[in-house]
Amino acid sequence: MKLGKLVATGFALSLLAASALAQTITFRFNDPEAPGMRQALDEFEKMNPGIKVTMQRASWGDAQQQFLREAAVGTAPDVAQLAFVWPRSFGGAGALRPLDDLIKRPGLGVKGWDDFFARDLAHGPDGKVYGIPFTTDTFAMIWNKDLFAQAGITEFPKDYESLRAASQAIHQKTGKTGWGFPAGSCGTPTIWFALNFYWWSKGPGLIDQGPDGKFRVAMTPAQIQEGLDYYNRYIQEGHNPKSSMSFCLWGAPEIVEGMLSGSMAVATVPDTVAIEINTKWKQRNPDKPTPFATSPHPAGTNGSRTFFGGRMLGISANSKHVEASWKLIQFLTQPEPTFTKFYTNYTPAQRAALDARAWTPELSGYPEQLKTARSWGAYGVGPVAIPFMWNAVGRAAGSVFIGEKTSAQAASELHDAISKELAKNQK
Amino acid sequence: MTTVASGRSIWTDQRRFLLVALVPTFFFLACFYIYPTVFNLETSFTDLSLFGLRKGGEWVGIDNYVEILASGDFRRVVWNTVIWLTVVGVSVRIALGLALAFLLNSPVLKRWRLQTLARILLIVPWATPPVVAIVVWRWLLDPRVGAINATLMSLGIVDQPVAFLAERLWVWPALITIITWNTLPLVTLTFMASLQSLPEELLEAARIDGASRWQQIRYVYLPHLKPAIIVMVLMSTFWTFNNFVYVWLVTGAGPGLYTNVMATEVYIQAFINGRFGFSAATGIIMATIMTIFGLIYLRVVAERELSEEQT
Repeated sequence: MKLGKLVATGFALSLLAASALAQTITFRFNDPEAPGMRQALDEFEKMNPGIKVTMQRASWGDAQQQFLREAAVGTAPDVAQLAFVWPRSFGGAGALRPLDDLIKRPGLGVKGWDDFFARDLAHGPDGKVYGIPFTTDTFAMIWNKDLFAQAGITEFPKDYESLRAASQAIHQKTGKTGWGFPAGSCGTPTIWFALNFYWWSKGPGLIDQGPDGKFRVAMTPAQIQEGLDYYNRYIQEGHNPKSSMSFCLWGAPEIVEGMLSGSMAVATVPDTVAIEINTKWKQRNPDKPTPFATSPHPAGTNGSRTFFGGRMLGISANSKHVEASWKLIQFLTQPEPTFTKFYTNYTPAQRAALDARAWTPELSGYPEQLKTARSWGAYGVGPVAIPFMWNAVGRAAGSVFIGEKTSAQAASELHDAISKELAKNQK
Repeated sequence: MTTVASGRSIWTDQRRFLLVALVPTFFFLACFYIYPTVFNLETSFTDLSLFGLRKGGEWVGIDNYVEILASGDFRRVVWNTVIWLTVVGVSVRIALGLALAFLLNSPVLKRWRLQTLARILLIVPWATPPVVAIVVWRWLLDPRVGAINATLMSLGIVDQPVAFLAERLWVWPALITIITWNTLPLVTLTFMASLQSLPEELLEAARIDGASRWQQIRYVYLPHLKPAIIVMVLMSTFWTFNNFVYVWLVTGAGPGLYTNVMATEVYIQAFINGRFGFSAATGIIMATIMTIFGLIYLRVVAERELSEEQT
């Protein structure tokens, strides 16, 4: 009996010891490259034998709500991948742990905290740091050189009106879709980006911060309407067919397959989708050169404007393994081996690590676009949540595209909705 | 005296047993129905947001309700929910369910020994989970690769593919087609079961009296089917009015907000706009509308019709 008790106690102690030695942390990863990321995590575990990492998955569409719900009841993952514009609101909601004490330590990225992009978006309303910029990206235009050549166009248009003319000419001469932007409505539609790119190229954005520090709606209904009219013309003129209203995401199969089959001449996509299109083309046509090139978006009086997008990494407020979580963040922000071996389609959000990304010639539009990309700025740090504006802009555009509302009516209602939300939230 | 005493004791024991037996039911009702309802009601009077879940919401009184009821968008959401989704959707389902039930019950199918096959085919849509049905239908209706557009174009009926789920003219009919396809079998089977319980003598008497086929339907079949129709209308209305999955997965409440209904509005407000309090108030209004409908329907229609049936 005594021996039995002794064995049982020994077994329990050994279990306790084992659990104390190997700490398990959870990492929420939302990108499609899960196998590559798992390999990176395996490498991390080899370098840190006392830490095991469980990778959890969520789609980007659900990730925000899921994390906030889990954080509210203390079950959020230790480390989470976040969109660039989330740390402020997540930090304000108490869902993330402040990282100010940790970023002072050595071992973060190549040259430490000051070398990261988009640090303004990493701060919460209380001024504390809640996220570490992980990757950066932007949208550029991918276009089919053959279809442009068939329409007699030799180079990519430099302004928005020329792009519309080119899109129309391609459709008239080849019968193919010109710029086939997704015009569908959903919570996170692509038209939100396309409209902002257009608006920013002309000057103001929807939300701006005045010299007094107060946020304001920086566009008039007429300026909003101009953007809605611009994209609506593509649909009404038929060079972006009405069927484009049946999908809303930038990486939709309709876009990828449309470009691959040569039935679409232009698309606006992030680099990951451009890579997918080029890779699939090479797989399907091993002996042919790729017909695709990439270019920055057209420019307006304010230049060619897209956004610095990307992902951040954060530690949840409920994490009991802060040290292990921080070690994982330190590991993931090193270009070698994460970005050079496992997560190769992404660009580290650090100036000193930009070279870790080798751009192929057909993707040359992306580094060029990054030079003129802007931060979300007041959108990210202002009192109107981006998901609110994203949804409202997408719905307004949708109602114009189907002819339910005039562009003037939709623009006026959108202006009112954002003004009201801003007035309500701005203390 | 002993008898009375023991009688009382038996009654008390039975009551105690009943109370004990009901405890689990009350427990589950309290945990999973009453508590969430009360919590939702309380939330609807606050400004609780997605970003404020940890700190909770602040009391705003009836502000959420005032904002909802004053909003033009909400009136359109109610219109979509009541007229398009519920009235049109349920009417189509009941009418088609009746027609199919008559067809499947017809002597012609019996004569050709097709009844069993027809019933199996009828069950297939019902056995298909809604999410699967929606994916299949989205693919069928797809303007680029969809079989329906391919057929219409090959027959020369249309020149250009039709974006069924993105054009104003087509989106509601397409949505109702998908919902009807997936939910019609239950309605049809219920009507079929009722038809099969119709006494043959009644039909024979009608035939002997010289009743035409239409008169048989009007004066024999339909009165017999009335209780089943009443129950199916009530159940279908509740299911359809509260349904979220079809609209959200088929159209995402779009294009624009053209197909936004109350259930999708609750989701959009809570999980896209992050306004939990506002969303909870929308849910309460939704539940209130259904409760009023249920009470009126049961009082005015069901009680009268069913009592007529019994007399």
